[in-house]
Amino acid sequence: MIEAPSMSSQPAEPSAQPSAQIESKSIPMTQLMRGQTGRIDRTQSHPDECSMLRAMGLRPDASVQMCRLGEPCIVSLSGACRIGLAKDIASRVMVRIDD
Amino acid sequence: MPSTDSSTPSDHSKPEIAEPRQVPRHAIAVLGNPNVGKTTLFNRIAGIRAKTSNFPGTTQEARVAHVQLPISIDEANTDAQAGIASLLIDLPGIYSLNLDLSESQVCRQVLDGSLAPAGETARVPDALLVVIDATNLMRNLSIVGESLSRRLPTIVAVNMIDAARRKGIHIDAAKLSECLGCKVVLCSARTGDGLDTLVEQLTSAKIPDRSAPTDQAGIERWAQSIYEQVSAGSTGNQDDSLTDRLDRAFTHPVLGLLSFVAIMTGLFWTIFKFAAYPMDWIDLWFGHAGNWVGAIMPAGPIHDLMVDGVIAGVGGTVIFLPQICLLFFMLALLEGTGYLARAAFVIDRALRPFGMSGHAFVPLLSSHACAIPGIMAARAIPDRRDRLATILVAPFMSCTARIPVYVLLTTILFPGEPMRQALAFTMCYVLGIAAGLFTSLLFRRTILRGKSRPMALELPSYRVPDLKSALLLTFDRGMVFLKKAGTMILAISIVLWWLGAYPHSDPTQASIDLRAQGDSIVQSTPEAEPSQQAQAFFDEADALDTRNAAKNSMLGRLGSAFQPVFAPLGYDRQLTVGVLASFAAREVFVSTMAVQVAGSDDVEDETVLGSIANATKDDGSPMFTPATSWSLLIFYVLASLCLPTLVVTAKEAGGWKWAMLQLGWMSLVAYAGALIAYQSVLIFGGA
Repeated sequence: MIEAPSMSSQPAEPSAQPSAQIESKSIPMTQLMRGQTGRIDRTQSHPDECSMLRAMGLRPDASVQMCRLGEPCIVSLSGACRIGLAKDIASRVMVRIDD
Repeated sequence: MPSTDSSTPSDHSKPEIAEPRQVPRHAIAVLGNPNVGKTTLFNRIAGIRAKTSNFPGTTQEARVAHVQLPISIDEANTDAQAGIASLLIDLPGIYSLNLDLSESQVCRQVLDGSLAPAGETARVPDALLVVIDATNLMRNLSIVGESLSRRLPTIVAVNMIDAARRKGIHIDAAKLSECLGCKVVLCSARTGDGLDTLVEQLTSAKIPDRSAPTDQAGIERWAQSIYEQVSAGSTGNQDDSLTDRLDRAFTHPVLGLLSFVAIMTGLFWTIFKFAAYPMDWIDLWFGHAGNWVGAIMPAGPIHDLMVDGVIAGVGGTVIFLPQICLLFFMLALLEGTGYLARAAFVIDRALRPFGMSGHAFVPLLSSHACAIPGIMAARAIPDRRDRLATILVAPFMSCTARIPVYVLLTTILFPGEPMRQALAFTMCYVLGIAAGLFTSLLFRRTILRGKSRPMALELPSYRVPDLKSALLLTFDRGMVFLKKAGTMILAISIVLWWLGAYPHSDPTQASIDLRAQGDSIVQSTPEAEPSQQAQAFFDEADALDTRNAAKNSMLGRLGSAFQPVFAPLGYDRQLTVGVLASFAAREVFVSTMAVQVAGSDDVEDETVLGSIANATKDDGSPMFTPATSWSLLIFYVLASLCLPTLVVTAKEAGGWKWAMLQLGWMSLVAYAGALIAYQSVLIFGGA
């Protein structure tokens, strides 16, 4: 495996802010209203589940729009795909509300 | 380019019946996220040459195809017409190569060259085709980043470009190619756009001259940066109001459940309605084939083997091909619409009170085809107790092997009433599911205490399903079924015929007397033809002999020995034999009955199903009374009649104690259910 720590094309802009600093502002995803948009802050769950959700696109700073509340909770990820989440999982995904 | 002819012998490759085919010079692995149209793309390129194959020692399947790929323009100076013999492997859809999931592990092993689909030689692929979704570029770029680190010749297919254009998304292919350091082709597997270019490029993929970070956060930043450079147009929230409304309806607590029931009922109704015609043709054809072979072959053991063993046994199984094909076709169409992911959440809500999660939906749905892939799919369930509960419940789902038995018995119960047949059929499915739920509830309260894990699932866009992919899948499943009918079921039919035909019994005194009476009539009448009266004596003598022979054969003795166990359920000697033979595999029941009945068939032009339905017991009374038929039907819904399932359960659950628990529990439930059915129909049915 070739180690390639640096970017090949252009340097990335650090888009994800350290979550600890804005913790006070983040709320569980289930508290979004229908149609409201937020940005993912962090997921409080089992590490395996966190990596799965992250690979599915629920990564820090991703924009989510609430499409359906309740069981299941359906969110649209940057308008690109939809993800259905058991309420239990959704309540452990913390988001910051867009201003 | 790495060497293309390096074929290392592998433990996985079995010495299969060698098809005369070229050793593929070029192996191409197809990788991508779920729901990006990867399989549709694969099917477009491979067509009918593709087959489904499993990875030895794993639960995962892949589509595999041997194809001739055109030599790309840069290498075209050598024999350009021949093309390159290539092997395409459609890997399971994954979100990331680095997850701790069975499908991610399989992909990693294939890319490392340590695993290959059954029948192929494990080797590092010569090229990697990464399929990504143009409408969800940012997330899909993550797996491209992970692939680049593999340093394999890579080509990226940006699929669904038609959908992206409709959404107003523009992707700069040249810029993307520059950022990734490999070839990029914009295409649409659905419309066929760009596929010719893609196929031309497949054999000339180069090792990317760029690389990506290796940590997750790094890849995400890298993906976002590339995304911002190459993608323009609408990214925000489109008008998804229709999707929103459909999603809300299909996942609604009441409406969702109602639509699920309506869709499934429609599915089965269609299967029954349309499978009936081809089934009749196949039935008639095998009936004729039996008569024809019977007429041209000289009497003797070979004649009997062909007519009563081979044709009756295989015919009794092949007749279910239309239903199995239709079921897979309809399920593939349904999956193509995007509805099934929504249904998983409806099921989640329904399963949760019984201690299972929507994660069990795919294993349980697969179990409706066959419990084995269902139990294997349970590996994807994260929680151990959830997984064990699902494994124990899976064989209660009505698999396709039960369909033959259901069809036979519902036809016998309600001849010429398709509506009632469909109802009885649905009842079988519901009963299986109910028994499964009860089992889960019981086990989750006792040996597998605890709550089930919640679910997260991508909901693919609603689409018009791809007919070609559905047809290819159906063809594939149909061939697998026919292969089974041609091998295992054929072998069991022959063994059963042999057990049923030997040892030969001499004619009984009663039949000798009857024949003597017939002979005396023939001799006393001057006409050349024996009178009807004489013929009746001969027929009765033949019937007596056949019954006697069947009873004294090895199979008959085995049936007689076990019959007392099944007597309370209403099964006679022949049905006991059918049930016993089913312990190896339940679909054998129909062929077993066909083989047994064929030996005593008096009527010449009857069809396979007809001759079973009209079969009689040793005393001449009908074998399939309503009470017996109901009892059998319920027994077959609930019983664990499949040796391979038990083996897989032991393997997947981690011990034979689970398999034994499954066998013991299912046998108990089946026996009790059949007993209740038989006795209640006897008491209340007035039969």
